[in-house]
Amino acid sequence: MDYFIQQLINGLTLGGLYALIALGYTMVYGVIQLINFAHGEFFAAGGYMGVILLSFFAGLGYIDTHPFLCIGASILLTMAYCAFLAMGVERVAYKPLRRASRLAALVSALGMSIFLSNGLMLTQGVFDKAYPSELIQGGFEVGTVIVSYLQLVIMGLTILLLVGLNILVFKTRVGMAMRATAQDKIMSSLVAISSNRIIAMTFAIGAGLAACAGIMVGFYYGSVRYDMGFVPGIKAFAAAVLGGIGNITGAMLGGLIIGMVEIFGAAYISGQYKDVFAFIILISVLYFKPTGIMGENVDDTRV
Amino acid sequence: MRKNLFTILLIGLLLVPLVAGTGFAKTLKIGSMSPLTGPYAADGNDIKNGVLTAIDVINDQGGIPGYSKIELFPQDTACDPKQAVAAANKLINLEVVGVIGAYCSSSTIPASETLAEEDIPMITPASTNEKVTDRGLPYMFRMCGRDDDQAPTAVKFMMEALGAKSLFIVDDKTTYSQGLADGVEKSARKMGMKVLGRDHVNQGDKDFSAILTMAKRTNADVLYMSLQNHASGSLMAIQARRLGLKSTVVSQDAMYHPNFIKVAKDAAEGVYVTYGFTDKSTPEFRAYAQRFTKNYGEIGAYGTYAYDAALVLLNAIKKANSTDPKKIKKQIMKMNFQGASKFVKFRPNGDSGSDYVGYKIENGEYIVYWTPQKGILK
Repeated sequence: MDYFIQQLINGLTLGGLYALIALGYTMVYGVIQLINFAHGEFFAAGGYMGVILLSFFAGLGYIDTHPFLCIGASILLTMAYCAFLAMGVERVAYKPLRRASRLAALVSALGMSIFLSNGLMLTQGVFDKAYPSELIQGGFEVGTVIVSYLQLVIMGLTILLLVGLNILVFKTRVGMAMRATAQDKIMSSLVAISSNRIIAMTFAIGAGLAACAGIMVGFYYGSVRYDMGFVPGIKAFAAAVLGGIGNITGAMLGGLIIGMVEIFGAAYISGQYKDVFAFIILISVLYFKPTGIMGENVDDTRV
Repeated sequence: MRKNLFTILLIGLLLVPLVAGTGFAKTLKIGSMSPLTGPYAADGNDIKNGVLTAIDVINDQGGIPGYSKIELFPQDTACDPKQAVAAANKLINLEVVGVIGAYCSSSTIPASETLAEEDIPMITPASTNEKVTDRGLPYMFRMCGRDDDQAPTAVKFMMEALGAKSLFIVDDKTTYSQGLADGVEKSARKMGMKVLGRDHVNQGDKDFSAILTMAKRTNADVLYMSLQNHASGSLMAIQARRLGLKSTVVSQDAMYHPNFIKVAKDAAEGVYVTYGFTDKSTPEFRAYAQRFTKNYGEIGAYGTYAYDAALVLLNAIKKANSTDPKKIKKQIMKMNFQGASKFVKFRPNGDSGSDYVGYKIENGEYIVYWTPQKGILK
């Protein structure tokens, strides 16, 4: 039983991280029906920006006196940075193609992904960069189950961001504008909603969430590398599709499911097939329900 | 017409330096193969830099008679079998006379088959899988040790030095890591250690929490971590520490790299690895270390073996006074000198012997902790 609970905690942590990344895919798809393949790179850029800021604070000597303040500031600044990065990418690579075929934008997204990932490689080097994981150390034991504070921070932050996003999308005027743009761009612009601004904002929010996931991954695994965005990007995309692409709740659920399946597959069958299990779930859900788990109310709640 | 003539004259003038350049200088071309990009780039660049250091030394000694310079063509294998074969073909087209490489056994094995078709001598500084020299290729040599020596040494180390009675084995399914893990499992069973579990992960995995929780449940004395890459190794060490794994982590030569400690930090302390013994007090090692650190910074793991391998190749060409593979091989077999990494003497199958010892990571450094002959030191 302890074994099961320990694996559950491992799975929740991983699933939460996937969910944070998956939201960006699903939100962008919801608004402009584009699969933003460069999204994984926002996540990687976030991981790097986080470590750069943290070492900057360490250089100033603040990190020893106010560690949590520094981490908080790094997360907020990184989220802002990635939000601007995403708006820039959207402006350069997707906006000019808004009226072109969807395939053109998709190819542009792939190109942007390669460009950003290589940009990271050239500026940050090919080696792993260590994270100051020791800042959030320790944990507590219940029986033989160990929960590290870092896992709690990740889960807590994930829940906080998910709740915040839900409030933003479903309770505020901006969220209403986003939902309106997702439903019909022309109609919403007739009621004075600037679709360009809303689209840029969607990119910014998605990238901000991914950036936060990037920092969490850096802390959790202890290092970042320039190509770290690729695999989690694919998994998160799978999670978004699994949940029903375009649906926010679906992306959260999909992320958690993919994370859990991976961990439990590795825990009870074998570690070498954990990716296989995740994708088997994806394929079987799509086979029986092509719109994904939450895909039925596509017109209603998608963003 | 006059305009054409002018153009022809201009082109002719432009060609002069090219013709002049190739006509008088004779270049000795050698190749190196190692992963220069991707997750294995740290080790791969060490290998390239080791070879460059050796060329530097030979040049200082007056170069190779009959050649105005030695040129190295470093190829990136990315630890990918297909890319390794492509790199081997490229080196063949460049007409190199010898190759130092590759790093991953899974690259060295197919690439050596390609080079063997052209009888190009190949010396691997880092591929430890048995099959590298066991296939009977006449021009395949190896500077480092063999995994069928490393595996029993590792088991002996765990039993004698750590007093371990049981172990849990993890590998990441490469020719090297899985082969070595198989060897450790076999030796452990033979020598009376209990294998409580064995599982695989994939290359490039980041999350090992599931498998480490599984290892923790078995309560094994040792977690034997056989991974291709020290970057994955640091991740696993960090996560093992966080999950409160009580087993001692023992790993192999791929974890012998300063970057492993740099990333894993505290979690690297108390990790043991088996790696070839290098006497760092010999004048040969110190001369090499001085030159290498001056040009390329910190000494990694396999740069030292690459340096020795390149010295073997270049000195063999010098002594044979020929680039004929048969004559080079004859000279390589006669080699008998103290290199930077070890005393160099080849056996008929192309191996140069293994000398694995146990290292302990202490205060951020690899310290020789145990040797099969002397047991625990100090």
